[in-house]
Amino acid sequence: MENVATDENWKTCFCQLAPGLVLFARQWTRSAADAEDIVQEAFVRFWRKQHDIANLGLLYATVRSIALDFLRRDSRRARRESTIASESEQAIQPAFEIEDDSQRALVAALDGLPREQREVLVMKIWNELTFAEIASALEISQNTAASRYRYALAALKKTLAST
Amino acid sequence: MNDFSELENQLRKLRPAQPSPNLVIRIECALAEEPSTPTAAVLPRKRRFHFNWLSLGLGLTAATALVLFASVRFQSPAKKTPALASTPLTPAISTNSSAQFVPAGLTQVVYHTRDEGLHFTNSNQPVRRLRSQTRETLQWHNPKTGATLRISYPREEVSLIPVSGQ
Repeated sequence: MENVATDENWKTCFCQLAPGLVLFARQWTRSAADAEDIVQEAFVRFWRKQHDIANLGLLYATVRSIALDFLRRDSRRARRESTIASESEQAIQPAFEIEDDSQRALVAALDGLPREQREVLVMKIWNELTFAEIASALEISQNTAASRYRYALAALKKTLAST
Repeated sequence: MNDFSELENQLRKLRPAQPSPNLVIRIECALAEEPSTPTAAVLPRKRRFHFNWLSLGLGLTAATALVLFASVRFQSPAKKTPALASTPLTPAISTNSSAQFVPAGLTQVVYHTRDEGLHFTNSNQPVRRLRSQTRETLQWHNPKTGATLRISYPREEVSLIPVSGQ
């Protein structure tokens, strides 16, 4: 059996995907460190089985599954973090590199999206997945994935117009 | 979709925060390690170190406090004996009833052992790393009152076993 530790392919694949994967995982966590833990566990599990990055849907499904598992197991901690976060928004580490006020408004509008819309948007915009891959990762139809994407954009547009 | 093209462009200009450089190193280490259960479908979640250390620390602190408490109690009757002789009844009851705790047992239950594979020390000596999780229970008994005092705490131990070069 091939020794994965000596295989450098994963680094190339991972470095391209890492920012988007961590952003995807950040939807279920308050801290970047937790998101990175999730991505690490998911990628190791995925790479040991696949040895190939072609099946992106499965990789994102693995991240999502581990993130939801993380939420369930650490619900007490998550509640504590959410309480702290509601008391002090500065405690939340930013998920984006914000350059100006318009981007800050955009990120705030993103945070206000329902989770099922936001995860489709994150997968489509920052991870460049096709609707087929998104549908595979979320176990929904392609039409549903496309609808959620449109609803998300419409909601964002509406929020930005009202501010 | 054209309605949203400008918004999509704005969104694409937003750059996700870069993950820490350590992430790649951590994944490299994790991939280099053999899975602990190769035939299992689901890998066990790694326990967080701070949790283990915290529980271990709290357990040891509580154990130390109890041992100190017990030793103080054991020593006190000898010093108080003259005083007891001159002042009967009330102090004698409280002292005698609580000062007679005697150690009744120590149990160690190893509930999980994991072979973490081959590692190399700083001097390049190959060692096998074994991690075992144990629950230790200390117990005291007061023969007069029948009261028992028991403290239990988790313990994690990592053993490095040198591997011969044969």
